[in-house]
Amino acid sequence: MATYDSLFSSLGLEQWCSEGKSSGPMSMADLLNKNKGESAEPASIWELPFPSMDALNESCAAFPQSRELTKGLEQGFLAIKDSLSLVLDPLTQPLSWFLDGALYGMLNTPWWIVIPLLLAVVYVVTKSWKLMLFVGGSIVLLAFIDHYDYAMQTLAIIFVCAFLCVLLGVPIGIAMARSNSLQRMIIPVLDMLQTLPPFVYLIPLIFLFSVTESKLYGIAIILYAIVPVIRLTNLGIRLVDKDVIEAADAFGMTPRQKLYKVQIPLALPNIMAGVNQTIMMSLAMVVIASLVSAPGLGVLVLRGIRNLELGVGLVSGLGIVILAVILDRVTKASLARINVSQKQ
Amino acid sequence: MAKNIKISIRNLYKIFGPTPDVALEYVRKGMGKADLLEQQRHVLGLRDINVDVHDGEITVIMGLSGSGKSTLIRHLNRLIDPTAGEIRVDGEDIMSYTEEQLRKLRRERMSMVFQKFALLPHKTVLENAGMAKDIRGYTTSDFEADARKWLARVGLEGNEYQYPHQLSGGMQQRVGIARALVSDAPIMLMDEAFSALDPLIRSDMQDLLLELQEELKKTIVFITHDLDEALKLADHLVILKDGEVVQQGDPQEILLNPGDPYIVDFISDINRARVLRVRSVMSPPDDGDATFAGDISEKDNLESVLLKSEGDMSLNFRVVRNDQHVGTLHMKDLARALVPTAASADRNKNAA
Repeated sequence: MATYDSLFSSLGLEQWCSEGKSSGPMSMADLLNKNKGESAEPASIWELPFPSMDALNESCAAFPQSRELTKGLEQGFLAIKDSLSLVLDPLTQPLSWFLDGALYGMLNTPWWIVIPLLLAVVYVVTKSWKLMLFVGGSIVLLAFIDHYDYAMQTLAIIFVCAFLCVLLGVPIGIAMARSNSLQRMIIPVLDMLQTLPPFVYLIPLIFLFSVTESKLYGIAIILYAIVPVIRLTNLGIRLVDKDVIEAADAFGMTPRQKLYKVQIPLALPNIMAGVNQTIMMSLAMVVIASLVSAPGLGVLVLRGIRNLELGVGLVSGLGIVILAVILDRVTKASLARINVSQKQ
Repeated sequence: MAKNIKISIRNLYKIFGPTPDVALEYVRKGMGKADLLEQQRHVLGLRDINVDVHDGEITVIMGLSGSGKSTLIRHLNRLIDPTAGEIRVDGEDIMSYTEEQLRKLRRERMSMVFQKFALLPHKTVLENAGMAKDIRGYTTSDFEADARKWLARVGLEGNEYQYPHQLSGGMQQRVGIARALVSDAPIMLMDEAFSALDPLIRSDMQDLLLELQEELKKTIVFITHDLDEALKLADHLVILKDGEVVQQGDPQEILLNPGDPYIVDFISDINRARVLRVRSVMSPPDDGDATFAGDISEKDNLESVLLKSEGDMSLNFRVVRNDQHVGTLHMKDLARALVPTAASADRNKNAA
C-alpha cells in the first residue's frame, strides 16, 4: 500500500494502473527499502510525500517514474542524433579546418618568427611600447620554462574562436538592435548559454561529434564565448545618440549608410568591450575544453588534477594567468584608443 | 510682399497615440489638448497649422516648450509624418513623395542644424562639415575646398583636423552651420540652434547668421523659445501655443498689435525701444513745413533715435531710404509706441 492509492481508486483508474506494470528499472531507494524489508508507508501526515512522479508510481505502476524522463530525453536525443549530425557535421567542418590550421601554423612556424609577429600585432593595436615589452617578457618567460608550445596552442584556439565569435556575433547583435521581437527571442537563448554550466553542453556535443575532431571543443568555446559580443553589440547600437541618428536621417542617409557611417562607429567602444569579454571567456573555456581533448595549457592543468601533480598544475595555472593578463591588457588598450577618439 | 512661397503648410494636424485617426475626429470637433489627453489618451501635437514660408526670408517659429515647435519643424522634412494635412515645398506635395524622392529632398534641398549639434564624434571637423556631400557619394577631396571655405566663413579656419569633442559648444555649432551650408541646400531648418549656447556666444551666432543671410538669401526656418532671439532674426514670426498658431506676421506688427493675452504676456518684458524700428512708427512724409532735427534711416531702432533726440519730445526726424524722403517720425509717436501695449490695459480690465 502506498500513500496515493486512494487518489487513483477515486478517479477510477485502477484498471489502467494494473495494466501497465512497472517497466522502469528499480530505483536506488526501492532497492534499499527492499533490503530493509519494510514498506514505504508513511506513519502520519507529517511524513506525507510530495506527489512526485516516483511517489505516484508507487501507487500506480502505469505512472512513469522520473527516471524515465531523463531516459526519454536521452533516447530522444539519440534518435535525432544521426540526422542532426548529418546536418551539423558538414556545416561545422570549416571550424575543424580553421582550428587545425591555426594550431599547425602556430606550432610549425619557428619561434623567432612567431614571437616578433605577435609583438608587432600588439604594437599595431595598442601603439604602446611599454605594453609590447610586457607581452614580450611574458612570452619569453613562458618559453623559457618550456611552456611555449602549450601557450601557443591555447592562443591559436582563442584567436580562431574569438574571431569566429565576432564574425557571427556582431551581425546577430546588429539584427537584434534593429528588431525588438528578435531581441525578445534571442535574449533567453543568450541567458541560457551564459548560465548553463559549460560541462553540461559538453555532453550532447560529445554525442554529436567525434572526440578526435577539433570542432568539438571549438563549438563549445564559441557557444560559451559568443554571448558578450552579441549583447554588447546590441546594447551599443541601441545606445547610439538619438540626436546623431536624427541628423543622419535629416541629411538623407540610407539605412545602410546609417549603419556603416554612424551606428557601428559610434557603437564601437561597446562592441570592443564585448570583444574583450569574448576573448576572456574563450580563455576560460579553452581550459575546461581540455576535458574533450582541446590541446594547450588546460591539458597540463588536467594532468595536475588527475595525477595530483601540484607543481605541474600550479605552473600551468600561472601560464593561463599570464595569457589572461596579456589578452586583457592588449584588448583594453586598443579599446581605450577607440574611446579617446570618440569622446563626446 | 511679392515673394515666392517656398514651403506651404496647410491644415496640418499631428496627434500622438495608438489610434490618431480616431482622436483626429474629436480634435476636428473641437476637443482641447487637456480633454483629449484625459478622455482619449492621445497627445495633441499640432492643431490646424497654416504657415507660408517665403523664399529668402527667415521665418521664426516661437513657443514655449511643449508648444509643438520642434514637432512642426520635423514635419518639413518628414522626420515626423503628420496625422492630416498638406506640406508643399516648391509647390510639390512632399506627402506623396516616395522614399527615394524624400531622400533626395533631404540631401539636396533641405539642411538642418540641431540644438545639440549632433556632429559625428569620430569624424574630424572637416569631414563633419562635408557630411551632406559625403552622403551624396562625393569623396573628401571633392568637397574639401568647399568645406574649408565655409568653415573659414563661420570662423573655424585652422580647426579642420580637430575632432568635435576638442571644440567648445559655440564652435561645435559653427561646424553644424558649416555642415548645413556645405550641403548647398536652399532651405535651412534650425531647431533651437542657439539655445544650448551661453548668451554672449548666442548673440555672436545670431549676428553670424544674419550676416550670412544677407549674403546667401537662404530660406531659413528657425525654431526658438527666446523672444529676443525671435525678434532679432525674424522676417516672419509665428507664435505657437499648445500646438496652435496664436498669431503670425511681421514681428514689429505683432509687437505693436498683439492679438492675444498670451502674446501680451510674452512681450511684456521686452525692451521695446531696442526692438521697434522707425519704419513701424513713422508717418507718411509731411509737406515740408515741419522742421527736421536730423535724418534717420527707416531701419534704425527707436533706442538710437532716442539717443539722437536726447529725450526732447518736441522734435521731428526725417526718415530716409537711399537718400529719399520716405516718412516723418514725430517723437510723440515714438513715445506712444513705447507705452506698454494697449492690450495689457484690456487685460487688466478683463481681469477686474
